Amino acid sequence: MAISYWRRRDRYYRLLGNKCTRCNAEYYPPVYICRRCGSESLIDAEMPGTGKILTYTILREVMSGFEGQQPIIIGIVQLDNGVKVLGQIVDTPIDALKIGCKVRTVFRKIREESSAGQIYYGYKFTVLC
Amino acid sequence: MPLNNSLIPFKGWVNFGLKTPKNAAIAGYGVYIPRYRLPSVEVARIWRGGEEAPLIKKAVASLDEDITTMAVEAARRAIKMAETKELGAIFVGTETKPYAVKPTSTIVAQALNQHKVLASDLEFACKAGTEALQLILALIGSGMIESGLAIGVDTAQGRPGDDLEFTAASAAAAYILSKRDVGSIAVVEGASSYVSDTTDFWRRAGQQYPRHLSRFTGEPAYFYHIQHAVKNLFDEFGYKPSDFKYAVFHQPNPRFPVEVALRLGFNLEQIKPSLLNPYIGNPYAANSLLGLAVVLDEASPNDLILVCSFGSGAGSDALSIRVLDGVEEKRRKAQNKVRDMIEASVEIDYATYAKLRGKIVA
Repeated sequence: MAISYWRRRDRYYRLLGNKCTRCNAEYYPPVYICRRCGSESLIDAEMPGTGKILTYTILREVMSGFEGQQPIIIGIVQLDNGVKVLGQIVDTPIDALKIGCKVRTVFRKIREESSAGQIYYGYKFTVLC
Repeated sequence: MPLNNSLIPFKGWVNFGLKTPKNAAIAGYGVYIPRYRLPSVEVARIWRGGEEAPLIKKAVASLDEDITTMAVEAARRAIKMAETKELGAIFVGTETKPYAVKPTSTIVAQALNQHKVLASDLEFACKAGTEALQLILALIGSGMIESGLAIGVDTAQGRPGDDLEFTAASAAAAYILSKRDVGSIAVVEGASSYVSDTTDFWRRAGQQYPRHLSRFTGEPAYFYHIQHAVKNLFDEFGYKPSDFKYAVFHQPNPRFPVEVALRLGFNLEQIKPSLLNPYIGNPYAANSLLGLAVVLDEASPNDLILVCSFGSGAGSDALSIRVLDGVEEKRRKAQNKVRDMIEASVEIDYATYAKLRGKIVA
């Protein structure tokens, strides 16, 4: 596993962001300084696993490691705590997608280096409505 | 007792009941069944010239799913139901690990944010899930841990055109076991295991697909081991078939569980609620634990459930499980029934299946 991915695996596996202990603002990905109040006192916070689709796009050409998955749907999801995150939307026919659809996170393979390489796991979204 | 698995009638039983701890109980369970279904008529259309096929479907994992992802999904549901904060052990029973060397259980542990755990992968063909469950029970009973997670999961392979391809399926079942308390769902009253060296089904290292000896997988393998394990359980603990409200047997196909149940003296009413093979196929190590989950979805306190797994190679674990008062409250909170997941499905054709399971690659 690439070291950079390994360092951030809790972000990808559990949607682990952080939360300002002074003003309760939440962030994903985590930040070092609260953008709302400037506090440096932030603690780990797992983001809620549900939200709604704000917007999405469809990729019909994909990068190496994602072959076979096209078309890939990438969406911006507003989680129930208001935090906006980018993620792949799966198990959903394109014609069933709508702005505002409720989604939940699922744990999936993101990509594989090769049949002999490492497997990268993380969150994706699936539509509930 | 004959150990050559011949058809010689049983002459006696070795008393080998496992002394299960009464202070350990099932605190939660969760399953994951991928949404795609391949009807068996599609396999027959491609490989058998369209000859008649049993009216069954099998659950097919998507391109981005494997046993790790399904184990995590099932485990998260089980943890939510159990409301457990900390685990002491995680065992993943499977024969379809994505890494030949590297534990799946550590990825599951990381995804669940559980690090102070004894974690390991277990392999015993289709019975690795019930093994995991018994090991967790033993660790709790011995006082080594307070609670643990047992998972049975597989993305079962079948060589294209082989009989296995009609049923080899994907799914996961996870169980949280903890010290028994008022919220406990069920307790394992007794257990009995029976094994012998019987090579009915195998996959050599480096091979993509398993091989099997067709009808030999029945009488000397499936039936022999299940009958021994169940009879031993009955002898050791004094049970009779009528004591059980439900009986759950490993379901490699629609016929075997019915036949073994009738041979052992059970009736169709006792086994019918657990028969999932026609709807999802055979997800190997998840198989009998899924049957238990669908029964727990409807069981009442004090019901007695027989669960008997079978793993090729070969062996069976027979468990007698008593449902406790906590089941109704836990089910109400979880709102996550096995049959709902079976219903939420999308049928696919053979070409889509071949792509999803890597039988054709770009």
